[in-house]
Amino acid sequence: MRERGIGRWIVAIPMCLLALATIYPMLFTLNVAMKSRREYVLNRFSLADHLTAANIADAWNTTGLGRYTFNSVLVTAGSVALLLLLGSMAGYAFSQLTFRGRKWLFLVCLGALMIPFQVIMVPFFRVLGQIHLLDTYLGLILAYTGQFLPFTIFLMTSFYSRIPAEIVEAARVDGSTTLGVYRRIMLPLGRPALLSVGILNALFCWNDVLISLLVMQSEQHRTLMVGVTALRGQYSDNIPLFAGGVLVAALPVIAIYLFFQRQITDGVTAGSTKG
Amino acid sequence: MMPSASSPTIRGIKSRRGWIAAALVPALALVSAACGAAAPQTQAGGGASSGSNKLVVWDWHSGDATTKDYYAEARSDFEAKHPGVQVEFVAQPYDQYYTLLGTAIQAGKGPDISMFNGGAQLRDRVSALLPLDDKVGDLKDRLVGWDAFKQASTTYAVPVTLQGFPFYYNKAVYKKAGLDPEKPPKTLAELQTDCAAIKKSGNACFNLGNKEGLGIEFFLSGFAPGVFSPAQYDAWLAGKRDWKSPEVRQIFQLWKQTNDDGWYNKGVNSTAMFNDQFTMFSGGKGGNVIGLISDTAHWKSFDEFLGPDLGVYQAPIANPGTVKSTFLPAEGGIGYGVMKWTKDPDLAVDLVKSLSSTDAEKLFFEKAGAIAADKTIDTKSVDVPAAGQIVSWLPDSKPLLHTALSAKTLDLMHRLSQQLISGDVTVDQVLTQLAASDK
Repeated sequence: MRERGIGRWIVAIPMCLLALATIYPMLFTLNVAMKSRREYVLNRFSLADHLTAANIADAWNTTGLGRYTFNSVLVTAGSVALLLLLGSMAGYAFSQLTFRGRKWLFLVCLGALMIPFQVIMVPFFRVLGQIHLLDTYLGLILAYTGQFLPFTIFLMTSFYSRIPAEIVEAARVDGSTTLGVYRRIMLPLGRPALLSVGILNALFCWNDVLISLLVMQSEQHRTLMVGVTALRGQYSDNIPLFAGGVLVAALPVIAIYLFFQRQITDGVTAGSTKG
Repeated sequence: MMPSASSPTIRGIKSRRGWIAAALVPALALVSAACGAAAPQTQAGGGASSGSNKLVVWDWHSGDATTKDYYAEARSDFEAKHPGVQVEFVAQPYDQYYTLLGTAIQAGKGPDISMFNGGAQLRDRVSALLPLDDKVGDLKDRLVGWDAFKQASTTYAVPVTLQGFPFYYNKAVYKKAGLDPEKPPKTLAELQTDCAAIKKSGNACFNLGNKEGLGIEFFLSGFAPGVFSPAQYDAWLAGKRDWKSPEVRQIFQLWKQTNDDGWYNKGVNSTAMFNDQFTMFSGGKGGNVIGLISDTAHWKSFDEFLGPDLGVYQAPIANPGTVKSTFLPAEGGIGYGVMKWTKDPDLAVDLVKSLSSTDAEKLFFEKAGAIAADKTIDTKSVDVPAAGQIVSWLPDSKPLLHTALSAKTLDLMHRLSQQLISGDVTVDQVLTQLAASDK
């Protein structure tokens, strides 16, 4: 039943304010990106005199953001592919298979969720160096996979736990192998979860700065977010150019949100309730 | 019967094709990524040089448009002397620079040459740097600012620019407040009178952003020449710091008092110094600012917006009984050090020499606005009075006070300065904690 009268406004007004607070930084960035440096310095909060994409074009043309975008797409796609494959396999194993040490192994995976990247930065850097994967695409893909796999396993295990055991048993009775069950039942049934987890991981990988900065040390291998962050130099004062770069980097993320917002919400809430 | 387009069989095949296609895209990306990893790019990575035919330099400036000519000049100078040796400048984001460098140092793998801020940032990392005294003797007379790149009289980096904290002011704001724009304050009492007038005219007397906690560094090093006696100043630099002295207390009390007196723009603890504080000053929103002479927030960036309204003065005298004249606090700003793991130290030193050559430094000064560490540069080519005044003050300058402190004490001072402004701690509590940290 729809809420009426004052109760409706009590909900609507804070929601509108919250939406405004969320949208405002994006509109501010857009407005700054449309300004000249002089306009910005003289009045940061005024509306841009005229609409121009010069800063966005400058950020794109003069700072190698095109190359960085290609790098970001490559490592994000590679990482998400590997995460989905390993995460769904592990999720299937933890939720449907019985083997010794299952609970302990799952706890270890969950425990890995609690470790901040900063804590393992130095050994991580050292190991990647020793196996000659520093400054390589594969190195960054494996780094992202390692970092986000516990989260992926957690969500996939939660999802697969909701699949009735009878379905798996029926497939077994029909002669399906463990791998066959994974391929013919778990993967098709897990499609909504895989989509949600894939989108979330794509956003994590795309938005990361620290891991990428550490692994990709040469300019040509930089990802987009690192490239945009480097635009600031040491406190560079060309904020409109920086805002142009931020917009370039944010556009794919905004597009993903717009197209897949339902799946993202599902992904975030997956496992919170047992159906 | 032939299956129709909408039949379950066809839908199944289509669906399977969709899955295969969806799986193929990332899989291909993965394969191409793996191939990318094996490509020659790997050899050209930004880590340590793979041999003596390539040198990698980490900095936070080579991506800036204003320093493009400086780096081009340094590269061409070096490559003319060492044909066939490649140089790669990697501009890192400054926010993450020392975290990244710290990780590289702990792992013993990183660039051949690194850019450093003078003082604590360099001294905390000397264990990873080559001592340079026996390699840069020919630069000693030409360049100044060496002390900021020394630890216990050993030189670990070559200065490229100088850093200093002059007081910049906006003559138009002074005029609007009914003050003489050609007479900046010489004493603290005059500054206090001027601030009252500027505040009355509707402007902030000073622009301040203390979100990063850096404001107190500028305040301490900026005001100290007018507060500390010469002997006390030298003792501080020599490591004999008396945190309970009336003068140290006076500076921290002044920090608190000036805020309470409404000298600053609103919300200083939530305003970023870089770049909001300096943008406000450039935009004419304040009468004064303690700025820099190296990298950013300097005469050139302010001149771009204020033009002839830009003025500059030295720290006002706060204690006329013990301080007869003030000076510009200045020392080495940024410089280049050679990492211990570089394969060919002499080659790396040669690149540092190109990075600090007179021709390159001249471009850094003229195009990027940093006061160069090279005293042979003719600064008359720049027609900005503030720049000329700053250069004329350099011979009498003394190093900055805050860079003599350790990074740990500076971090603590940043936090305490914010709490002091918000009234959560007292000046005495601040001094007690800083004294304990500085032992």
